[in-house]
This record gives sequence, structure tokens and C-alpha cells, in this order.
Amino acid sequence: MFSTILSAAVVGIDAYPVQVEADICDGLPQFCMVGDLSHEVREAADRVRTALRNTQISMPSKRITVNLSPAHIRKEGTGFDLPVAAALLAALGILKEENTKDVLIVGEIGLNGKVRPVSGVLQTVMLARDLGCSLCLVPKENAREGACIQRIRVVGVETLGELLECLTDREACVKRAEPLAEWKESALEGGEDFRDVNGQEAVRRAAEIAAAGMHNFLMIGSPGAGKTMIARRLPSILPRLTMEESLEISQVYSACGLLAGKDGLVAARPFRAPHHTVSAHALAGGGRKVKPGEISLATRGVLFLDELPEFSKSALEVLRQPMEEGQVTISRTSGTYVFPAHFQLVGAMNPCKCGYYPDRDRCQCLPGEISQYLHRISRPLLDRMDICVETARVEYQELAQNRENECSSDIRCRVETAQRIQKRRYCGQNWQFNSGLPSSAIRVFCPLGREEAKVMERAYEKLGLSARAYHRIIKVARTIADLEEEERIRREHILEAVGYRSLDQRFWGR
Amino acid sequence: MTDREEIRIQYIRQEESGYPEKLKVYKGMPKGLYFLGRLPDKDRPSVAVVGARRSDSYGNETARTFAKELAAKGVQIISGMAWGIDGMAHEGALEAGGDTFAVLGCGVDICYPAGHRRLYERIMEKGGILSEQPPGMPPIAGHFPARNRIISGLSDLVLVVEAKEKSGSLITADFALDQGKDIFAVPGRVTDARSKGCLNLIRQGAGVADSPQAVLDALGIFSGKNKEPEKILLAKEENIVYSWIRLQPVSLEELVRKTQMPVQKVLRILVELELKGCIREIQKNDYIRTD
Repeated sequence: MFSTILSAAVVGIDAYPVQVEADICDGLPQFCMVGDLSHEVREAADRVRTALRNTQISMPSKRITVNLSPAHIRKEGTGFDLPVAAALLAALGILKEENTKDVLIVGEIGLNGKVRPVSGVLQTVMLARDLGCSLCLVPKENAREGACIQRIRVVGVETLGELLECLTDREACVKRAEPLAEWKESALEGGEDFRDVNGQEAVRRAAEIAAAGMHNFLMIGSPGAGKTMIARRLPSILPRLTMEESLEISQVYSACGLLAGKDGLVAARPFRAPHHTVSAHALAGGGRKVKPGEISLATRGVLFLDELPEFSKSALEVLRQPMEEGQVTISRTSGTYVFPAHFQLVGAMNPCKCGYYPDRDRCQCLPGEISQYLHRISRPLLDRMDICVETARVEYQELAQNRENECSSDIRCRVETAQRIQKRRYCGQNWQFNSGLPSSAIRVFCPLGREEAKVMERAYEKLGLSARAYHRIIKVARTIADLEEEERIRREHILEAVGYRSLDQRFWGR
Repeated sequence: MTDREEIRIQYIRQEESGYPEKLKVYKGMPKGLYFLGRLPDKDRPSVAVVGARRSDSYGNETARTFAKELAAKGVQIISGMAWGIDGMAHEGALEAGGDTFAVLGCGVDICYPAGHRRLYERIMEKGGILSEQPPGMPPIAGHFPARNRIISGLSDLVLVVEAKEKSGSLITADFALDQGKDIFAVPGRVTDARSKGCLNLIRQGAGVADSPQAVLDALGIFSGKNKEPEKILLAKEENIVYSWIRLQPVSLEELVRKTQMPVQKVLRILVELELKGCIREIQKNDYIRTD
């Protein structure tokens, strides 16, 4: 007898429908799986047969053929175990055909019949809803993740037996549906707050400006000055996460299998800090089965690169295109994948190899070694750092004092106001924030008065700025003005922005 | 080595007339000198400025201003083109438009350290690059102490800017002592390791170079009335910030703490001062005076 079950496969971060067809007929006893399958999908045959036997259902000694269509697309992953089992049960006549209609099934099975979590459930459930299914059966551990999607019922199953129950009695099954998860932003995992940062007034200010305009941000300072501590707190001052942003982030996390066992969607802005040995592929995404990389996992959040000069050149260069476009495109022979990459880049580095320059009592580096160290970061990448600031050593009195520092939520209020102003100003444009402002539009959105233009001219001449640095400074000045809720960029804003300009390698290390 | 450079390299033997007179007096001087550009003028006073390679901003600024002032009075500045004090001394001399000469421990066609390429080319134009080593000789550590005798030999006075207790610059001072030249040292802070060598020299009788004037006096150069540097008028708050900035680098964070002003304000003032040319940012958010 022939039967068919709807399932889905995830390629990149998108799900597409797969029909699992099973047929049992007379002939030499054989279990045959076809449809351009990878080896882990092919192994489903053994897993399903054993699991069914351990659920007290024996397979007849007949010829069994399972086909996954469309047959021309390569199928990968372990999510097909459960639909294959369901298709067999339907082909055996154990399940009625009307009960398997409008149902999408994914899940991996263990030999004992236990159902195990899979990746990409979020987009699978979204696909099921779009296809007009009324029910989606997923592994129990993925149920909370799937329940975030409205207008479809999601039921988590723990064993093969449960799947059988769900598909025989639809009413009982509906009662077991996971309640719709309510969207609520949660605090950062470690509970990081700017309240814990003593001193570091300059970096606090720079971080606030960076957050307000979504500017990329570079911290330079000796070891132990608090660069990592501040970077970790940056997501806490970014604006509250919206449901749409959360869905975008969660799709990436779901595709990487990072949502299983968690409570629904990603509820806090991501903070990713890959180690400096990270490869270009791990950063941008890739691999044999193409998966999103760190920059996509950091989307709508912060990508923190500690010890920036230690990263390999190829890894850093790969950042440049996604930084401009807000998405990363990966082309392979198997296809082209597009992942979101709206991250804010935060870098941290030492001023020299030993980390103590310009404190000559501790720094033993030759001027040549210092400039060599700096040259490990390419000029184009440095040029993309809008804000650059030093993290100075904290004095003991500041470290020990019990002063009440400003907390993250207060800073966040100001950042949200500044971002609201920007969104209103750039309504209908391709970009939302000052950092995305193309240089051709600077004249329109950031007009300078006579006095301000004079300061810029003097800075340009005196400091030997590049054209790109010139535009960056105006953009940062625009953000400072937005933070102060000023319509026009004033002289003070320009001066402060000049103070945060990126490194000038020509003068450094002398 | 390009062909063009080879053509420009000149060689002069000790017997020839162009050979520096100052070197002929001493024993153990090279039989001949290779040079690019030209040789020091024998009728004009010359001063060797030497010091630490791992110098700090205090040493750098001192070396530069001393060399600049001396060069402006027509003194030829001689040094070794190494990192740190040597390089800064050449820079200072070039800034004043004066003549400066570098004595290398490798072939004259080799720019060592490579990072001083720009400086190397400018010295070649404005003065000369000298060496006793034949062209193509790589920088070998053993050759460097020996070139110091040429540096001291070519000059009338040796000025040591920053030197640790055991510093290569002290070798130059030793040669100068043997050759009977004047030695001057710039005093530093007693707690600084980079002052020890200089302070030791002073204890042994070296002159105290507390201003370029002291060196000029020792050379017997009458310095006309120094042009009063233009006073730049600073606003009150600018003055408060400026008063905290010295030759030792001070960070933005420290300035915020000391002036008790909000960070935005301090940064704005600092940029204003930088644009006026009163201070310089030597590293991100670390500032020094420029006078």
C-alpha cells in the first residue's frame, strides 16, 4: 500500500517541503530508500525499523520503498526519521489517511523509539503554517521553539508511541498542543549592567554613542583595563528587542540547532565573541552543509573580536562585505545562501605586543615592532571603525569606591531616543541609522554651518584625514547631536567626534 | 641594490683630501668611507645626538627639540638612524631645514631599520649616509659598536639623551671621552631606568644639557636673541586642561579625573588644543605637549 507524509528540510536557514512516500508491496524482503539522500538520511531505514520493533510493531517481510521528493534536491539531516516512521505506519494501514493529512512531521528517532531534537524547527513550523497545515509534530525539546508561531498547533512528541497516539486520535492530540509562547524580552544571560563599570568615563561615553548610531567601535588599552567587560555590557544599552528582530535572530539560531531545549525565541540581543583562532568560514558561515557563521549569529546584536590583531587576515577581510550590506552571501556548488548579518562590530586590542605602550617603564617594544603590530589590521577594516577610544588603566580609588554608577537602563533610554530620531529622519531610505548613511547623502542629512565647516577644514588639514575618515567624523557628530536631541550639528559635536576618530598609524609608535 | 644607487655611492680613501679631517687625527679610523649624499662640512660645528632605541615621549621630544634648535643655528646633527632617539634627532634637524648625517653599521645602500625608509631618503637629500662597511653588507650586530667611534669622531660634542645603565649610547660616550670630545647629557627623572646612564655621565663630569642653549654655549656659538614663540591665547577651560599635559603622555581618562569635567567637554577641549597645535596625540587618547 502507498502512503505519503509531509515533512521539511532546512537548507541554510530556509525550510522547504519534502514529501515522504512509502510503499509496501510483495517481493524480495528489502528496505530501500531513494531520493538523493545523504548517508545520515539513508541510515533512517535501520533506525526506524529497530525503533518500530522496540515499540512492538514488526515490519512485514515485504519489499519496502521510501522516496523523499522532490528527488533532485540533496536531503541532509536526521529530521526525516519520524516522517519515515509515520509513512510506514500509514502504509501498513495502522494510521488512517485522513489523520495524516494537513500534518507536518519532523524529528529524529533513537533505537528505543525515543524522539530526539533536530535543528531548524522554527522555520519548519513557519513553512507548515504557510502550506496551510493545521498541525505540526515536532520533538518535545523543540516544542517551545515551534510554539512561537501563530495560527498553527504544535505538538511535541517524546516517543514513537506518542506519535502513534497523536495520529490516531486528532482530538486528544489537539489538547496536547503546546500553548502559544508569549513574546517578552528577557535580561541578558549574565545580568551584565553598566552599573558594574567603575571609572572609564571616556569608554562609557564612546559606547553610548556607538550604540546610539550603531557605529562600529574599537577599544585600545592595556591588558586588564576592562575592554571585555565593557563589550559584554554593550547589548544591555542597545534598544529593546522587537518581536520581528527576535524572529530574524531565532531563525538563524534554530537553523544551527541552538534553540533546542530553550524557552522559545531568542529573547535578548546576541553577544558573540569568537576566539581569535576562528577561521574565515566559521566567521562568515559555510562548511560542507552550509551553516550560518558567527556574524549571522550576532545579527541585531554585537560581534566582539578581542585581540583584533591576532585574528587571521582572511578572517578579518571576510567581514568587510557583510558590514556594508547587512547580509552575507555564500556561494557554493550546491547553491547560493544568504544569511542576515546586521551586527555591530566591537573590537578590542592592545596598543602593542606587550600591551603597555606608551608606558615606557613597562613596554619593551621597539617603535618598529609597535607599528608592525598595528599593521596586522588592514587599513580598510580600521577605516570602518567609526569610533575608537582608549581604555586606560583604572586607578585603585576608582576601583574600590562604592559610588553608584549609571545603570544600563538609563543609558538605554537615551539611546532609544536617539535611534527614534534617526528612524524618523531616514524614513523611506535604505538605511536606518547614522552609521549606514552613504557619503553621497551626508550633504543632505548632515549639513554643516559655516563655523562647523571651518573646524572640519582645519581638522582635515592639520590631522591629515582621509576622505573616508572625514565622512565618518561627520556621521559620528550627527549621532552625538541626536543624543543631545539637537536639530543641527554644532561645533562641539564635531570636535568630540574628531576625538573618537580612528587610529592614525602614521603618528603611532614614534 | 639598484644600479642607480650603486652609481651614487661614493668612496673616499683616508689619503684623499675630501676625507673628514676630524677622523684623520685618531688611530683606528676606517681606511675609507662609503657615502651617499655628501660628507659633513669640516668648517661647521657638528653635534652627535645619541640615545635609547626604546625611548619614551619625553626623550623623543627632547631629542627632537634639541636637534631642531641646534640645526637652526647651523650645527650639523650626526647620529645612527636607529629607532628612538637617533631617528628623532635626525627628524628634528630636518624639520629645521638643517644638515644631518647618519653613520650606519651596515652598507649605505641598506636602510636599517627598514621602517626608517622615508627618513633615510630625506637624510640622503639633506645631508649624507656614511658607513665604513662596503655596500651590500647586511646589518650585523657586531658592526654597530664600532660605527659609534665614527659618530663621536665626526662630531665636536656628543649629546646623550636617554640611556639606560648599560646602553649602546654609552659606548659612543666612551669613544668621545677617548677622543677628548665634550660630552653632554640630558637629565631625566631619577626614578626612570632610562635616566640612569645620563645621570651617571653627569656624575662623571659630563655637561648638563638642560637646554639647547647650554650646548650652543659649549660650542661657543653666539645665539642671537631667540625669537619669542608666538603666544597662543587659550580660554580659561582650555588652560585648565592644558596645564595637566606634560611631556609624559597623559590619557583622556586621567584628564577627566584631574579636571573634574565631563568627558565630552575634556575631549572637545583636547581636540581644540590639538588643532591649535599645542598638544599632540601620540597614541589613541594619550596626549603630550608640543612646545
